[in-house]
Amino acid sequence: MIIVRIDDVLSFVREFEGWLEGLGVRRRRPDHFGAGDFSVAVFDDQTPEEERAAVERGRDWERVKYDAGWGAVDWPERFGGRGLPLAFAVALRTAEQDWELPRRNELFAVTQHMIAPTVRDWGTADQVEQFVRGLLRTDIMACQLFSEPEAGSDLAAVRARAVRDGSGWVLSGQKIWSSMATCAQYGEAICRSDPDAPKHAGMTAFLVPLDLPGVTIRPIRQMTGGACFNEVFLDEVRVPDTLRLGPEGGGWQVALTTLSAERSDSGTLGAGTVGKLLALARHRGVSSPALADEIVQLWIHDQVLELSNQRAAAEAQAGLAPGAQGSLGKLAATMNMRRTSDVITAMLADELIADTGEWGTFAWTEQVLGAPGYRIAGGSDEIQRTIIAERVLRMPRG
Amino acid sequence: MADLVESAEQAELRETLRRLFGGPSACLARPETAGDGGYDQRLWGVLAGEIGLCGLSLPEWYGGSGYSRADRAAALHEMGRCLLPSPFMASAVLAAETLLATADEDVLADVLPGLAAGTTLATMAHQETPGGDRHPVHARRDGVSWLLTGSRSFVLDGCQADLVLVPAATDAGTSLFAVDTASAPGLSRQPMRTLDSSRPQARIDFSATPGRLVGQVGAGALAARTGLAHAAIALAAEQAGLAERCLEAAVEYAGMRRQFGRPIGSFQAIKHKCADLLILVESARSAARYAANVSSGPLADEELYAAAALAGAYCSTACFAVAAENIQIHGGIGFTWEHHAHLYFRRAKASEVMFGTPAEHRAFLAHHLGLVQAGAS
Repeated sequence: MIIVRIDDVLSFVREFEGWLEGLGVRRRRPDHFGAGDFSVAVFDDQTPEEERAAVERGRDWERVKYDAGWGAVDWPERFGGRGLPLAFAVALRTAEQDWELPRRNELFAVTQHMIAPTVRDWGTADQVEQFVRGLLRTDIMACQLFSEPEAGSDLAAVRARAVRDGSGWVLSGQKIWSSMATCAQYGEAICRSDPDAPKHAGMTAFLVPLDLPGVTIRPIRQMTGGACFNEVFLDEVRVPDTLRLGPEGGGWQVALTTLSAERSDSGTLGAGTVGKLLALARHRGVSSPALADEIVQLWIHDQVLELSNQRAAAEAQAGLAPGAQGSLGKLAATMNMRRTSDVITAMLADELIADTGEWGTFAWTEQVLGAPGYRIAGGSDEIQRTIIAERVLRMPRG
Repeated sequence: MADLVESAEQAELRETLRRLFGGPSACLARPETAGDGGYDQRLWGVLAGEIGLCGLSLPEWYGGSGYSRADRAAALHEMGRCLLPSPFMASAVLAAETLLATADEDVLADVLPGLAAGTTLATMAHQETPGGDRHPVHARRDGVSWLLTGSRSFVLDGCQADLVLVPAATDAGTSLFAVDTASAPGLSRQPMRTLDSSRPQARIDFSATPGRLVGQVGAGALAARTGLAHAAIALAAEQAGLAERCLEAAVEYAGMRRQFGRPIGSFQAIKHKCADLLILVESARSAARYAANVSSGPLADEELYAAAALAGAYCSTACFAVAAENIQIHGGIGFTWEHHAHLYFRRAKASEVMFGTPAEHRAFLAHHLGLVQAGAS
């Protein structure tokens, strides 16, 4: 068991920041209210060009970081890491937010924190060699091809077919809700390889190159106006067996590995939003004690979630049995997003529903319109509650 | 934030106490002790004497064992789980912390060793008697000593305490006084009927009652404020334990109780409720532990008060919600006198307002966060 000393983490972060300074990266000016970009968007509402450009900026930076040994610090040396506990990696990512660096969007978390560990755990020696360093260095960006129109909350109902064909497979079906698939080179697809096997035993996972013939990616415009999700159509896509991930029939276990992989970035989703709300409140003044109380209640919920996330990370690090918090974090985060929407509505009132042009006001509509999506994406609130009840509280299955 | 993880020693202390209290499902509060303030003297002897719980986080030079307040919080978590009736909160937390905040070495040397050993019981009488009987306590100098006159209510363990700390008005501001209940003339103590029978309260009237000045004249309000902040943080740990036990009880019952031919815990209505309760329980634990860590470190008053307000506001609300839903999940049986559920409900409700209501804590935070200008409210 490795005990992380907070002083070690702090001095590591200082060393990292020294390196950033040496590169000429500038520190963000804290709380510079009224100037610069303002975004509290839950989902990135960018044009496809903006999205691609943002991903490319992010990749450039990830490569510089990785090559200097600051990328995958929690991975073993053979993957370009330093073999450090997760707390160090999380501390670096948190510290990065204070510097003028490209913002990591969801595709980076999926590539580096979900799909890279899945390949490490399930891949053949060749696959590990071929993919893991590339995923960590973001030379390869990868998305998930999990959900389908008829397999949402009931993910194990996937129908996209994988049929053996000589030394390879032919994949056909429709995947949906793949975040930023247009910017990815590979997709981790879960397909039904044996329609006669029991539901959970008949699936197989593949790493599908998205430039293969038969792959069509179509953005879905979501209610925020942006389009960061996609439909991915697989029309007799031929993949070699060397791109099968995990055993034939083992697709469900592979998918679970991806879903349960440390999503150290998703815990911070929405982080900083309440701080922006407080800055607005201080700047404009609070019109009534009742409103001040609503803001304080939101702040308390935000602080407590942050503490719980820190505690969960620290407990995982201390080698304690996985605490309940991991399963609870997402549900708590969506509840806080809803609370944030409610409070900003009370604060801005008319200015939320019509744009006066004032900095940092109407932009909150992105938060209000995005919050409902996060209650559904990545396992709906209802699915999370069932998971918590059955897996954490061990309540009887219905 | 590695300190948010419980240490091996804290886990061991909780384990020891849990065994001593009778196991994971023990409930030590009894409805029939209503109002008499009775607690198990034998158990208190073991806790205070053998285990040294009262002195756990008090300085060694005053007879304590010098552990951190976070260690004390671990013990409080277990006391909350089983609703232990004991003078611990009033004496070893509220009174001891208020005394420590005065830094009055003479008084500390005289009094704290007794509190640390659990042989002297102390409390603080800081709340006015409301309504028509309102008679704020003031103190006037009488030669070398001070005489207190006035009325206080809601005094935790007020009838049991050997020593009552009283913040009282003087010409030079609020000052703290210690009243020895065994020998003080002009002292009248009346037990109050309480919602939570496991935590007695009293009204105390002072009529030219002699008190010993503790700390500087005029420094009493600050000492009491600091003592109350530590008490709110300690209470949060107890509330987190209480909430944890209530959820366990609800989940156990939901797995056992069958309706419509299946355990009620297999219905999503119950499962989803329990999942939401688990968020409250785990969040309360995070908040309580954070505050306990803050109170263990070197700190500025403002930082301590903010941590107390955060934990107090969150844990009070969350803990009561869990205790209330525990009754709901138990259904009719949970509404009976015989079932423990109402004892937890009573303790949770009483704790919700003790050492500051959630609204009071939040009002402090509104100032602290700069949302309301000082002076306005």
